Amino acid sequence: MPPYKIMIVEDDPLIRSQLQTLLNGNGYVTLTPDPLADIADAVKDRQPHLLLLDIRLPGESGFSLCSKIRTFSGLPIIFVTSCNTDMDELNSILLGGDAFITKPYNTAILLAKINALLKRHYACGQEESLTWQGAVLHPESSRLEYQGRQAELTKNELKILVFLFRHAGRICSRSDLIDHLWDNQLYVDDNALSVNINRIREKLSAIGLDDFIKTRHRQGYTI
Amino acid sequence: MNTRLYWKNRIPFFLLNVLCMLALSFFLFATGSSPDTVLFIVLVWLLLLLLCTAVSCHLRRKELDRLLHITEQLKRRCLIADVMKQPPRAEDQVYRQILRLSEKSMLEEIAGIERERTDYREYIEQWIHEIKTPITAMRLLCENNRTPFTKELLAQLEKTDRYTEQALYYARSEHTEKDFVVREITLCDVIHQAVTDNKYLLMQNHMTVDVEESGLTVFADEKWLRFILNQLIANAVKYRRDDSVQSASPAIRFHMERRDGTVRLSLSDNGIGIPAGDLPRIFDKGFTGQNGRSRQGSTGLGLYLCRRLCDKLEIGLEAHSPAVSGSGRLPFPDAPNTGTTIILSFYVNHFISQVQE
Repeated sequence: MPPYKIMIVEDDPLIRSQLQTLLNGNGYVTLTPDPLADIADAVKDRQPHLLLLDIRLPGESGFSLCSKIRTFSGLPIIFVTSCNTDMDELNSILLGGDAFITKPYNTAILLAKINALLKRHYACGQEESLTWQGAVLHPESSRLEYQGRQAELTKNELKILVFLFRHAGRICSRSDLIDHLWDNQLYVDDNALSVNINRIREKLSAIGLDDFIKTRHRQGYTI
Repeated sequence: MNTRLYWKNRIPFFLLNVLCMLALSFFLFATGSSPDTVLFIVLVWLLLLLLCTAVSCHLRRKELDRLLHITEQLKRRCLIADVMKQPPRAEDQVYRQILRLSEKSMLEEIAGIERERTDYREYIEQWIHEIKTPITAMRLLCENNRTPFTKELLAQLEKTDRYTEQALYYARSEHTEKDFVVREITLCDVIHQAVTDNKYLLMQNHMTVDVEESGLTVFADEKWLRFILNQLIANAVKYRRDDSVQSASPAIRFHMERRDGTVRLSLSDNGIGIPAGDLPRIFDKGFTGQNGRSRQGSTGLGLYLCRRLCDKLEIGLEAHSPAVSGSGRLPFPDAPNTGTTIILSFYVNHFISQVQE
């Protein structure tokens, strides 16, 4: 699957560049047209998979842009705005927006929304799986497979492993891991993280994966 | 109307009548009428005079009392001049004119003040929307460059955002009906969002968060509910128990249940609790209480706003200290006499439930 193209229409240059950094870091390709240019044309030309649209733009408002784009494309559109009145939210839904996020947004929520919308619109039948050194992680069914043997994972264990697999080969600090878990609605503290890591190690040993998760003293974990 | 004063006001009129009576008596005597006839005429005159005055006093009193009653019944009493009929008497018409003039000038003044207030409110809302752009930019910068330093900054940004939201909702709380979308929302989702909003605050203070899984839904405005929960979470963190004697870490527990036609969401913490004397007043504006005085940064606004919004959303709001639990199980069994529980109760709309079924 080629990486998804996301178009960012945002008038604040710093937010634009930071959004770009964030989305690039999460494996998306970003397009950032000049908000004063003809956005509808840019969408036609470059065929992004998703549009992040600010409502307050210097030229045409996000709402009228949205209805213009809806005349020729059904791509998912996420409205991003700082004015969180219900009228705006209602308008955005009526005009064919798919999601509505208010500033200042939590990046985890933004990424989750983008991911969910892309999945819904461009669903590819096969199950997504992560592989590292022969171990295969199936997030959808919450299993880890290694040389034909399988381990069932709990919600916490799965989220920890997903994070480690996504950052395979790199060191993940404990606080980054805890951050990630909180973003996934698992409110664990330092002690609980240690307990979970130990439990994962036991399960991994049971299917023949010894010393898969390595502890780096004072730095964190790595696989 | 004061009857005695009414009669007193008639004295010149009576004097005039007496003078006329005397004049008539002289005339009658001079033209040779007998004293009996004169006495009879004067007596009839007096009787008629008193009768007429008494009747007119009664009628006038009835009329004016009615007017007074109408005024008292009016919601906006200043509008009485528009409500009352044009009075037949010349003086009364002048008084009505005066009333109308004063009413008009007052309404103009009120309109002016209202316009100013609206302008100011719009400015505040505008300002808050603008301040959100730099806050967003700072958040993104921090999240893209994660270090212990930026995490501290993120916690401060969360706080900044919470205070700006407070200002926004304070400005808006008078005109909720403009900004109100009631929908069916899953309580758990809103709680998770509110916890995420305060992620760094909670993590930095090593708070344990426990959200009971539940699929209960309520009809409410999501944005406002989230704001209320944000305030309550911030309070739970602010009034946590920090002494190292206690082994358990500070914690917040969310519990949801359906009881007696309401869905009850209770938010319990094992913090310092609220003194019984302060409990009835914690939702008052500007009330900080014993806890607020001993800690910095208590404005007495957070809970006041919560109550105000809850009133508008028709959500029941009650506070208990020490913490209680509806299900008979204490929220913190190892520390039974501590903490606070805030309970939000949502009325289940039977009509909507029936339609759905």
